Amino acid sequence: MAYSAPKEAYSGRVFEITIGTDRPVTFGGENVLPFHSFEGIVPHRPVIAYEIQDVPPDDWPERVRSVYDGVSNDPVTWARFCEEKLNAKALALRLVGTHPDRENRSVEEARKVVSEVLSAIKIPLIILGSNHVEKDSEVLVAVAEAAKDKNCIIGKEQEGNYKTITAAAMAHNHKLIAMSELDINLSKQLNILITQMGFPKERLITDPMSSALGYGIEYTYSVMERIRLAALIQNDTVMQPPLLGDVGFYVWKVKETQASEEELPLWGSLKERSIAWEALTASAMLVAGAELIIMRHPEAVSAVEGFIDELMK
Amino acid sequence: MLIIGERLSIIARRVREAMLKRDKGPIQEIATIQWKAGAGMIDANIGPAEDGGESLMEWMVTTIQEAVPLPVCLDTTNYKAVEAGLKVHNNEWGRPLINSTSNDPERFPMLELAAKYNCQIIGLTVGKGGLPADAEERAAIAAEIMARAMEYGLPLEDLYLDPLVLQISTSQDHALKVIEAIKMFKEMNDPPMKTVVGLSNISNGCPKELRPIINKYYFLMLLEAGLDAAIADPKEMAEALEEKPLFDAVLAGKEIDDPEKAKIIKKTVDIIMGRTLYAHSYLEM
Amino acid sequence: MALTGVEIFKLLPKTNCKKCGHPTCLAFAMKLAQRQASLDQCPDVSEEARRILGEASAPPIRPVSFGPEGRLKMGEEIVLFRHEKRFVNPTVFAVEIKDTDPLERINSVVDDVLSSEIERVGQKLRIDAIVVRHASRDPQRFEEAVKAISHKAPDLPLILYTEDPLTADSSLKIVSTKRPILHGATKDNLEQMADLAKRYKVPLGVKADGPEELSDLTEKIKALGVEDLILDTGAKTAREMLEHNTYIRRLSLKKNFKPLGYPVINFCQREDSLLETLIAGLGVMKYASIVVLSGAEKWKNLALFTLRQNIYTDPQVPMQVEQKIYKIGDPKPDSPLLITTNFSLTYFIVSGEIENSKVPSRLAVMDCEGLSVLTAWAAGKFTAAKIAQFIKESGVENEISHRELIIPGYVAILSGAIEEKLPGWKVIVGPREANGIPAFLRQRSS
Repeated sequence: MAYSAPKEAYSGRVFEITIGTDRPVTFGGENVLPFHSFEGIVPHRPVIAYEIQDVPPDDWPERVRSVYDGVSNDPVTWARFCEEKLNAKALALRLVGTHPDRENRSVEEARKVVSEVLSAIKIPLIILGSNHVEKDSEVLVAVAEAAKDKNCIIGKEQEGNYKTITAAAMAHNHKLIAMSELDINLSKQLNILITQMGFPKERLITDPMSSALGYGIEYTYSVMERIRLAALIQNDTVMQPPLLGDVGFYVWKVKETQASEEELPLWGSLKERSIAWEALTASAMLVAGAELIIMRHPEAVSAVEGFIDELMK
Repeated sequence: MLIIGERLSIIARRVREAMLKRDKGPIQEIATIQWKAGAGMIDANIGPAEDGGESLMEWMVTTIQEAVPLPVCLDTTNYKAVEAGLKVHNNEWGRPLINSTSNDPERFPMLELAAKYNCQIIGLTVGKGGLPADAEERAAIAAEIMARAMEYGLPLEDLYLDPLVLQISTSQDHALKVIEAIKMFKEMNDPPMKTVVGLSNISNGCPKELRPIINKYYFLMLLEAGLDAAIADPKEMAEALEEKPLFDAVLAGKEIDDPEKAKIIKKTVDIIMGRTLYAHSYLEM
Repeated sequence: MALTGVEIFKLLPKTNCKKCGHPTCLAFAMKLAQRQASLDQCPDVSEEARRILGEASAPPIRPVSFGPEGRLKMGEEIVLFRHEKRFVNPTVFAVEIKDTDPLERINSVVDDVLSSEIERVGQKLRIDAIVVRHASRDPQRFEEAVKAISHKAPDLPLILYTEDPLTADSSLKIVSTKRPILHGATKDNLEQMADLAKRYKVPLGVKADGPEELSDLTEKIKALGVEDLILDTGAKTAREMLEHNTYIRRLSLKKNFKPLGYPVINFCQREDSLLETLIAGLGVMKYASIVVLSGAEKWKNLALFTLRQNIYTDPQVPMQVEQKIYKIGDPKPDSPLLITTNFSLTYFIVSGEIENSKVPSRLAVMDCEGLSVLTAWAAGKFTAAKIAQFIKESGVENEISHRELIIPGYVAILSGAIEEKLPGWKVIVGPREANGIPAFLRQRSS
């Protein structure tokens, strides 16, 4: 029996998405499974965006909060810090302060923060709501307008609020994140509903819901793999938008990123452990199919960039 | 083909209330509707029935058999309730069916009951903890249940193997695995083993208007694989059999007069076969 | 290709003699088809059947084991993607020691490996093995390193990594009874290495430049009579690892290509420990049977053990969380008490929503074999009697000042029965869906 490389011929392709205006970035576009450049085309690296938020990160654990000491009191300073000092390729601004159970900031305040951040940076902006279905449908509609023609990503819309947010993203030329809760069939359904409103599927990003290493990551991992297989092998065009891994948000609330070594000696150094937790979670999302990743810790980001370098060689 | 009427289930609110109040009216009305639509047996699903299961099952069996000349399928995990039902069952209309035993040791005593009362039983091919991954695992469990049935002295003709239909909206790949399992079960004995499914679970979680469509065409595909019995809505199953010639024609690649229906059939079969990913709006794509 | 259970059954004696330990020939045939039994268990099988079944029942990826009593199992994988069916034998983590390392380092690495055990979700996880690498040119030095390690850790599985047959021979003399892997057969030494593997009855690691050259070598070695092989494609980057491992798995499973139907070893050492963790993680996700690391730092172990545990869970068995009363926020004696099942996804979502509500609470998570609420109820696992028993035995009554239990809206039907079985308690029906929890709890606490 002679060896011959078992290359797979895929019939589908992931949509290519470009965001931003001054210093745009592009991701997606591959016609093979993640990083399978040995049997097809992988035209772009996945993009890692740094996460910032509209209110000071008091709810972030010390290990990652301290990185941004002195800049995180003001979203504009924070954004500039990421762009200039950390060389971020993209930013994700989470408007968590608009959540009714948090600072309950008004739509006007959200609009103002978005405008200020946009005028302070050149890199592309991803604008995220607070995941409160009702509030997001007001906030995201308003900020979509405030960011008009800046080619941002707006998200995350869900089954309960997709109609108003889709209309706003369509009117102001943005890309959209559609999120469902770890269910591949509901994810497809939401993408169908959004495109049935006339929103082009080529401008969508699918978020199948992330999870942290040790806390259900295998569900996200398998849903992502299955979405990719449907996109590439069954040529299911509704499943061909790029995938989002919203990593930092899920990782920096688990015990492994917070418990000290004194408390749990077997777990080893908190400094390295917490960074590894974010980096390994992100790597798993990438290997499963994510093209856009949102992260918090610069050391985790640079390790993941190194991992991507090796995979793209 | 034996259709076991599924509608007397504690999950249905009207039925549950009638059971609680011991109100014969709704029970007998639903039993009669199913009988007239072609049911050959009536399923009485009383849930886990921890408390008062015995008297409830007794009451259900007699209430149903007062109204229709059919045997009853005794559907509960409560062993004592099953026995109470068997004791009052009128075998004049056919032997009762126990729903069910499985490979979970908690369910073994059901086999003993089946042998003791000379009745039929459903063997659900699941074990303790976890669902079978594919047709082969279902067949392996079926072989265990068959061996145990022989040990208990229950003739294999009295055992119906049930591959466990899962929801297509969350476990799409199992739709095809169940069809494969039915084919395997048939080959596992000579004469072939009898097979049964709880059909409507396939469309559980789907939009209401899709449910009869998926139920009917899935039923026809299972029929093709050799299915002997289905716990289902008899009215839907009668409609399915009426549509069978049309369905067969579409699958054979023939043109039919109703192109809209042909499209629905093709898309539904693609979903069942796993050729396209299920979404609630799959008919609109 | 593989036969179905029924096809195998037709070849068996059909005597139902039970000598194989299975109740019937049919049940045995089904286990054979699942590769959960061996034909050798049947004393009466015909030669003809043995021949046909022998060929058909050979798994596409050969099972190979090593270490004392062959306790580390590898191979036997049957799928490319974990959602299809459970990945079978979890990746072995091995830490490398060079014979040029000073004795203090050797000792401290062995100590790290020996103390690496961590318990997580009921499983004990550890660094499984040590690779001893012949980095010096001195056979003596290698032998000393092997001696030092096996003296300190007599029970630890070893991988002896040398391309020099003489060195291999002398060190195998010391540890061959513990079934180490001899790694380092190449195109230049394969006859002698194959001879050693046969003589000492140990698995042989084969090294080449890429899968194509490797498939040549394994065929030659197999012809020399060695069957337990490990593949090393020499992958130097993550990209090469992904390509080689994917091709090997695909060829074995889809084409039944025997020359590459063996477990794979990946050397993942990198100067940067964090990058090394990510490369090893790639190995865990994409088909490595052994990943080799440069050290056993505790933080790295925890991350990799967790990933391996997550990736190797059975997608058919719902992940379960431990049965107990979980505290969310900082609950006081008068804080609310909710109950749900131990399906991990249910737990993650319910506890997340309780967190979102900002109302400190207790969540009683009950063992229902990982089923969700409605399924568990229908299967008779989440019933009034079982809930009452769990609440009584949990000891929660000593922690709280009230007697109110909030149950999921889907099992509202149970409320009366639970109150009967838990005298003095009041059962409150909560929302049907978890996303209703924040509003529900806030309204109650206001």
